[in-house]
Amino acid sequence: MERQLIQLKVNGEERDVVVSPNETLVEVLRDRLELTGTKMGCGEGACGTCTVLLDGKPVRSCLTLAVEVQGQEIVTIEGLAEGAELHPVQEAFMEHGAIQCGFCSPGMILTGKALLDENPHPTEEGVRRAISGVVCRCTGYAKIVEAIMAAADAL
Amino acid sequence: MAEGELVGQRVVRIDSRAKATGEARYTADLTLPRMLHAKVLRSPHAHARILNIDTSKAERLPGVKAVVTGKDAAGVKWGVFRYTRDQELLPAEKVRYVGEDVAAVAALDEETALEALSLIDVEYDVLPAVFDPLEAMQEGAPQIHDHVENNVNIHVPIEVGDVDRAFQEAYLVREDRFSDTEYTYCQTEPYAVLVNYDSNGNLEIWTPNASPHTKAKALSNLLKMPLAKVKVRKISTGGAFGGRSDIFPGEFIAALLAIKAGRPVKMVYTREESFTSVRQAHSMVVDLKTGVTEDGRFLANEMKVVLDGGAYSSTGPIAVSVPFLVWEETYRLHNVRFNGYRVFTNKPVRGMYRCHGRSFMGGLGMQLDMIAEELSIDPAEIRLRNALRTGETQVTGSRIISCGLTEAIEKATETSGWKEKRGKLPYSRGIGMGASGMMVGFPMGIRGGSAALLKFNEDGGCTLISGVVDNGQGNESMVVQIAADVLGMKMEDINLVSSDSEITPLDQGAYSQASTFVSGNAARGAAVDAREQILNIASDMLDATPGELDLKDGQVFVKHRPEWNVWLGKVIRKALLDNTPVVGRGSYMPKVDLRREWVSNPKGQHAGTFSFGAVVAEVEVDTETGQVRVTNVTGAHDCGFAINPMAVEGQLEGSVASGGVGASLLEEHSWDGGQMLNATMLEYKVPLSVDMPQITPIIVETVDPEGPFGAKEAGLAGSMNMFQAVGNAIYDALGVWIKEFPITPDKVLQALEEKDPES
Repeated sequence: MERQLIQLKVNGEERDVVVSPNETLVEVLRDRLELTGTKMGCGEGACGTCTVLLDGKPVRSCLTLAVEVQGQEIVTIEGLAEGAELHPVQEAFMEHGAIQCGFCSPGMILTGKALLDENPHPTEEGVRRAISGVVCRCTGYAKIVEAIMAAADAL
Repeated sequence: MAEGELVGQRVVRIDSRAKATGEARYTADLTLPRMLHAKVLRSPHAHARILNIDTSKAERLPGVKAVVTGKDAAGVKWGVFRYTRDQELLPAEKVRYVGEDVAAVAALDEETALEALSLIDVEYDVLPAVFDPLEAMQEGAPQIHDHVENNVNIHVPIEVGDVDRAFQEAYLVREDRFSDTEYTYCQTEPYAVLVNYDSNGNLEIWTPNASPHTKAKALSNLLKMPLAKVKVRKISTGGAFGGRSDIFPGEFIAALLAIKAGRPVKMVYTREESFTSVRQAHSMVVDLKTGVTEDGRFLANEMKVVLDGGAYSSTGPIAVSVPFLVWEETYRLHNVRFNGYRVFTNKPVRGMYRCHGRSFMGGLGMQLDMIAEELSIDPAEIRLRNALRTGETQVTGSRIISCGLTEAIEKATETSGWKEKRGKLPYSRGIGMGASGMMVGFPMGIRGGSAALLKFNEDGGCTLISGVVDNGQGNESMVVQIAADVLGMKMEDINLVSSDSEITPLDQGAYSQASTFVSGNAARGAAVDAREQILNIASDMLDATPGELDLKDGQVFVKHRPEWNVWLGKVIRKALLDNTPVVGRGSYMPKVDLRREWVSNPKGQHAGTFSFGAVVAEVEVDTETGQVRVTNVTGAHDCGFAINPMAVEGQLEGSVASGGVGASLLEEHSWDGGQMLNATMLEYKVPLSVDMPQITPIIVETVDPEGPFGAKEAGLAGSMNMFQAVGNAIYDALGVWIKEFPITPDKVLQALEEKDPES
């Protein structure tokens, strides 16, 4: 397939990348831009591990073609902290023991952030619904829900 | 902080910052210069002889750098035990399951490697296959391994006491069959491996693993390389749950390719490959016969278990013994007969799992409830009457040095409102309980212990070098918390080097629930040793005996006169000048009977200690759809002592998800012969946030006399309790026993229809 040069805006930086039209956003982020914080768990949109923010909304980067998202603001887990200052959702995940193996954490944290940007005071039920597209096999979700609720209070 | 002040605190885990920022590296994230990408050609047949493999076209494809088949593997067979060496990790003659590795290609990119696979011609002679373990045991069934008659891979017989006579004397005897289907770990991180081979013959491997030392030893045997040349490196691992323990074909094949190509090789499995071609959990058929006295005490117990082991042995002898072990680790048994069979079938390979044997564990607890009902005894009471206690000896000879089973049952029932709810909830809502004991480690010979080193730097900081492995449980943080406590330091002032088979001492690995008990003890020993060295050196400087000194916040001081003190860095410098550098050394080997063997000698002390737990689960059933919802879980767990209560709670909560919702209600594979039909996360259902109940974790502390600060384990008993709690709660809700796991809506509806055909 013919490759093309595209511009992506990732974590506030403009990046030129040469991609094939069938390359997914997760592949481009991981393999071409070395942003390996975004994980790939299933490649078919079922596990939510590859979630990134696209204009503030959580999307599955394994179901998104890189050529589709030119001109949009892409935020990955690497773009969440401001220098050494972590985002309150990241802080809350650490403080509340919401991270075990850590493989789902990037997608989970970004999903939590997107929820709080849209609804700063969600109910517990609302948090559970918002993260229901991201699979965690370690925590039973209890401390993840607790952390997002605590971050809502902190924000 | 003084000793004993930091342990027991809810501390932020040392690994969490890197995982929250995306910095933590997992295998698929790694890249090396000149790295190739590999893919594996897999068998489309469940059972076939390989007649010929023609790789010539694939080798000629531009970009292909190496192709390997069984011919490159030299026919070496792998097995966890000397007597189970039955798996060629890249078979030359025969494939035994759909998805088995047949050939592999390393190329400049993954696309080229995939294209090359399509150019490999394999000629098979397809053989009759067998997919059901009970059929596989029959005369005339296809023989999967030439040396194994009737496909019986492992048979563990155990008999203690006079079982037949005890059954005759029993007041009540019940016989039931329980069963379950295959299921999978489904760790969030798919399997991946990266291998680097250099011109000096050093082999470096990164792969998600529960024990770098175990992987290194296996590869050293298979590749006939010295252990010092095989270096399994530290890497973050996205969950294990028992499924990253022994060696897998991926590591071996990537190593063959890297050696052949002379370049680093990375291989990342698809989710489908992770389902079919690494490890799964066993399905089982369990026949339970139990005889009790009039007051519900066990008199005679007989269990026959048939496990579908899939095509190869893996950890078979352990897997087939666990149904018996968990039973004797929970209750006071007298006369027992156990026959465990692990049977080969033409299905993928099965290994140990955090939810191993929902059928036997669920079955034991459900049959106990049936007996309790016939005798009009409360299910909690019948468990208390049979529960083991501290100081007792299990039926095959393991002494229990700390036991909180009674306390766990009492606390779980009290907190959950058991007395007010059991038998009193409206139809379609129910409550049930489960209880279990669990080994903390088991005999693993030279691999059963752990060692640690702690070296101090001239600025007063230190590095802890431990073999401890962390797959997400919090084990790394645990050893640092322990060492920091002993040394009166902050956790951030201790740097940890861990899980590297070249650098760190031997450790049993993150399985068999042994990390806190064994690796924690070794880390504590290293810290205690370093502390003694420091106090000895400082005693000259402060003109006091070591016993009069204490170490805290980087200062050594005289206890009764704290203004007499010296900076720790100064003590370390003096040690260096005196040619006695401070290097603490600690090790721990659990006190087990090393003569105990899974098959040939299943008696004697099996584990250093045992953990215990009880759960109460509430369910709500939609009788129209058959859907079961777990609404509330109260889980009490005797972890000995909670080093970090937040981490212990996290383990219990995770147990409820994997055991109580996933294994009990949702997870199973469906098949067409040997072809797995749901090897995708869209169709293999795992618990999501919205499926989870409210969970009340209760930590029971018995302060184990051997454990570091009294700690044992927190990972397993929780999930193992859930199956029976859910099964019993469904009976309480509907009045039907469902004896096949997982308890899916169709089984609930069928049971309701059988109970009341008019409905």
